[in-house]
Amino acid sequence: MLVKSSLKPCRWDLLVAGAVAALAVITGIVFYGAQTGGGALSAVITHRGTEVERIDLTRLTKETEITVSGVYTLHICADSAGIAVTQADCPTQDCVHTGRITRPGQSIVCLPEQVVIHLEGRSDDAPDVIVG
Amino acid sequence: MRKLRLRIGALVSAAALALSLTACGAAKAETLDIFAMDTYMSLVAVGSGGYDALQTAAVEINRLEALLSRTKDGSDVSRLNASAGGEGVTLSGETAALLALAKDCADRTAGAFDVTVAPLVDAWGITTDTPRVPAQSEIEALLTLVGGEHLTVDDSALHSSQLPPEDVAAALDAGCAVDLGGIAKGYASDRVADIFEKYQLTGGTVSLGGNVYVCGTTGEGKPWNVAIQDPNDSDGFAVRLRLSDAFVVTSGGYQRYFTAPDGTVYQHIIDPATGYPARSDLVSVSIVTYRAGGDRQGTMADAYSTALYVMGEAGAAAFWQAHRSDFDMVLITGDGRLLYTPGLADTIETDGSAYACQVIA
Repeated sequence: MLVKSSLKPCRWDLLVAGAVAALAVITGIVFYGAQTGGGALSAVITHRGTEVERIDLTRLTKETEITVSGVYTLHICADSAGIAVTQADCPTQDCVHTGRITRPGQSIVCLPEQVVIHLEGRSDDAPDVIVG
Repeated sequence: MRKLRLRIGALVSAAALALSLTACGAAKAETLDIFAMDTYMSLVAVGSGGYDALQTAAVEINRLEALLSRTKDGSDVSRLNASAGGEGVTLSGETAALLALAKDCADRTAGAFDVTVAPLVDAWGITTDTPRVPAQSEIEALLTLVGGEHLTVDDSALHSSQLPPEDVAAALDAGCAVDLGGIAKGYASDRVADIFEKYQLTGGTVSLGGNVYVCGTTGEGKPWNVAIQDPNDSDGFAVRLRLSDAFVVTSGGYQRYFTAPDGTVYQHIIDPATGYPARSDLVSVSIVTYRAGGDRQGTMADAYSTALYVMGEAGAAAFWQAHRSDFDMVLITGDGRLLYTPGLADTIETDGSAYACQVIA
């Protein structure tokens, strides 16, 4: 009889089952929400292998100047929608020629000073690799 | 009993719910970013051996740089160039095989890709601190040093049973020089592809300054989304390709160039026939080859992308007609057209492209 009664579902069992289901739904929302919740765009600047700046561009309210200096000096201009190297004294000027970037996955590279500016963010149509 | 079944059913579905959340998460990806071989390299590895695969790849890339660099003392290429006009040197079998492959590519492309163009690249110095426009007489004199006939590699050793052969004799005529810059990164991408295969990765991407290799699939099991940069808009993509186990190499003059005092813009790819920066009617050439196509597909794509840029639209189209089973390509012309080969019809996404896209018949 005891065994039989313990198998009988009571309201607590229902509550536990409900809690598990609710937890699953909440975890799901958090997990998938974080993947698809668009809008966020961050610029990560690395200099000679070390991260020197990480800026949440979407939170910028005005144009922001960043300077990275070593052998050469790069003047970087960021705003809420994108980032560009506006002026540099490096010999090749590839970084300036690259122009302004605004999409997750894009980057600007200065080879002589070993600076990489990479845009991170969630976007459904961001490519995995860019060639060119 | 019905209630017991219900309870077990509830437990199973709760467990299934929890499992589905973890199973759907993208497989773990390791990344590696390095400056090597005069470019910026970015590698991603998906799968349980990802970390080890990337460590091995980094060691391999550094080894290749030490072997093939023109600017590093003691590299095979530096020793060969230093020996020009002399009795020759012995090179590693690997370097000799790559030089032999470069010579093959020069023959196939009628000299549009030629590693002996180095003296002219130096004279122009377009990617250096001091670019300049050489005098016509200087260009003409240097042109006599360009051509596969100036480089001798002992082919017999390469065809011997011992692979790769230990030491291979090579010689270069006086005043000549070779630069493997147009093929070494492609070769490195082949080597990294071998490493990814050895570590049995489910996926990965390799981006070595314009040389891309995509291995397997993304963490979500889909083909990789490879975007070709729009040469006229730094912020846009010309088209996208959905690829697995494929190499994509793009050449163009739109990022590396210099403006002469008289206002003329010179891009960095020298035409070995004229000695001048190529005046191509193409702005971007992307070659696509497939790992299933055989050995050294990345190396070949690297050489071809340079060659077809130099050839221009008509030459590139004719070259593809003659070698159409070897590669696919995407050409962007100076007048705003984008041409692609039929082999890409199922993988290319032209929606939203700023170009008039058409298939090459």
